[in-house]
Amino acid sequence: MSNRLINYSLIFYIITFFVFLFGPLIIMSITAFNSADFPRISPWDCLSFRWFNEGMVDYVGQHQAGLLTDQKLKEGFYNSIFIGFFVVLLTVPIGLAAALVLTQINPKLRELFYSLSIMPVLFPGVIIGISTVVLWNRLSGLSDEGILSEVGRNGIFLTILAQTCFISTYCFLIFVARLQRFDRSQEEAALDLGATQTQVFFKILLPYLAPAIGSSAVIAFLASFENYNTTVFSILSDRTLTTVIASKVRLGITPAISALAFAIIVITVLAVIIYEFYKRRVDRLKKIEEQTLLASQSSDSRVQKIEIPKINFIKPLSFFIIIAIILSILFTQVLKNNLYGDACIANVEEEKKRKIEEQRKLEEEKFKLSEEDLQSGNKGGNSAFGDIFNSDLFEY
Amino acid sequence: MNLFSSLIKKNGPIIGTYLLIAIIFWFIFLIIIPQLYMVDLSFRPNLSPLERGGDKDFYTLEHYKHFLFGSAGSNNYFNVVDISVFFKTIFISIIVTILNLLFCYPIAFYIAKVAQPNSARFLIIALIIPFWINELLRSFALRVLLANEGVINTFLTQIGLIDTGLLFITNNVGLYSGLTYAYLLLMMFPLYNAIESLDKNQLEAAKDLGSSTFWTHIRVVIPHAKPGIVSGCTMVFMLTVGALATPVVLGGPNTLWFPELIYQWFKMSNNWSRGAAYSFLLLIISVIFVLTMMRLFKVRIGEIIK
Repeated sequence: MSNRLINYSLIFYIITFFVFLFGPLIIMSITAFNSADFPRISPWDCLSFRWFNEGMVDYVGQHQAGLLTDQKLKEGFYNSIFIGFFVVLLTVPIGLAAALVLTQINPKLRELFYSLSIMPVLFPGVIIGISTVVLWNRLSGLSDEGILSEVGRNGIFLTILAQTCFISTYCFLIFVARLQRFDRSQEEAALDLGATQTQVFFKILLPYLAPAIGSSAVIAFLASFENYNTTVFSILSDRTLTTVIASKVRLGITPAISALAFAIIVITVLAVIIYEFYKRRVDRLKKIEEQTLLASQSSDSRVQKIEIPKINFIKPLSFFIIIAIILSILFTQVLKNNLYGDACIANVEEEKKRKIEEQRKLEEEKFKLSEEDLQSGNKGGNSAFGDIFNSDLFEY
Repeated sequence: MNLFSSLIKKNGPIIGTYLLIAIIFWFIFLIIIPQLYMVDLSFRPNLSPLERGGDKDFYTLEHYKHFLFGSAGSNNYFNVVDISVFFKTIFISIIVTILNLLFCYPIAFYIAKVAQPNSARFLIIALIIPFWINELLRSFALRVLLANEGVINTFLTQIGLIDTGLLFITNNVGLYSGLTYAYLLLMMFPLYNAIESLDKNQLEAAKDLGSSTFWTHIRVVIPHAKPGIVSGCTMVFMLTVGALATPVVLGGPNTLWFPELIYQWFKMSNNWSRGAAYSFLLLIISVIFVLTMMRLFKVRIGEIIK
């Protein structure tokens, strides 16, 4: 009895945990579709996609950029991709080399070598950024001209170096894990048969390590793309996607960032689903291969009857259909109540302007009252500040 | 030298040279020299590029003195602000680490030992997805919820529970929950891997011998998962103590996280050597923490990071 209670409370806890994990992300995604200039759900203004496209022009006439029209965001995005590309080019060979050396080094040195290799991950990210910048600033200060002083002050170059420092460790760990299962006798056989060491490396080791190369490249790119702590120091006057986001959030939060986050969430979920399907297919093919192999080797007729499990498409399909139906119902309701489109936005904005106007009139009336007070001499004058409060400075 | 020649001998001239260059580039140029230079800089006064190498360029403890005693004009004998930020950062990081461990343990155990393989796979995917999303954006999601005019506050005001917004951000509720939220996964996976390798028969044996669920966990599961626990705690503590993104997004107006202090000296005051000195302090704390964990739980460094 008590066991069942424990089980139920465990399941309840797990559900709560996942609600807290996903809740903020889902609510943030919803705010991206609200036309209001502050990321919020209630009061809901209109359903709109403007934070993905053009953004809005607010009452003061200031343009708040949306996702696609934000130049800084675009520049940061391209820089991030550029940096990520070069980081992959550097970290994968470095991680591979370090992992290979680890397998060949004598056991006394191995512990030291391993400690040194994983040290960058244990350093706080800010420190790696700072140390790279101070070193290269000094180096570039040594000469007035030439390539050293150029690259030493180039934020993108420094960021590539700083990120390479610790991302190499991730690649290193992936390669070490794969190399642990490597059969050394393959190498020896090839050498005995007269292959050169270079041939062994390219024809045996690299093909064996190919999956690890792929996954470490992906991990390295992602780690580089989303790094902030190191990049913010090493990037100097340039910008990457993360530093742009951070400086935007610092200034105040806008739904444009919600829109960006929503885009990233969608891409992530799609990537995970595709990867999962791919993996299941590979698993299934493997199973089929094993079954046929087993069947061909065995004369027992029972073996051949084993059915190959098929992927159950019906469950996810019905799930998607239900979601699609709910979404379409919601959307028709939204259209019916005139909650979507330019007319709705115009309405809401008109409403807001009216409210502000009312507020202003109210204030003005208050002000008039105080003017009377002034004439009767009850309160002090307000011309002491050069009448600045009467001027047009605060007009919209 | 012995190492070099043996590398060349084992791998042939081409591959051997590649290995050597890659290793030296990484270890010497990316890891050792920058760190040493940063430490060196932290013991020098803050100078303009022209003054470097001149008369004023000597070793000094001024930045560490500033951390302890503050600038000369201040009223307090000690530099109360910086020191309190420093210890507060460490203290909160420890709390966050413990909370993470408590939150993750039941889930990791459930996925590793209780759940069916298919649902375990699904749960793992569900765990991974949020952590592929940038730390800044995850903090931003919390900010949307917790801001003074944020979703929670407007909701509570509308149903009439409160009159004015609760100051989540100002009171650091946002920062602390953000830090706890940020690195959950780095606790989850080491824990999961460690518990997963436990033989299910041991659990059943404990049950057959009459051990209650609680004591089974204390005596069987936790001792077995020790390397995972140490590894997760180390990672979470290090990342929390060095966190910059989450405090930037969720920090209150009056609060500082120690890396933010470094950021201010470095970026805003342009006092690089003082920033370097403060970074060195952060580094010392990290190293002390790792060594303490290794001593306390008798694990090797290779077991912490796999």
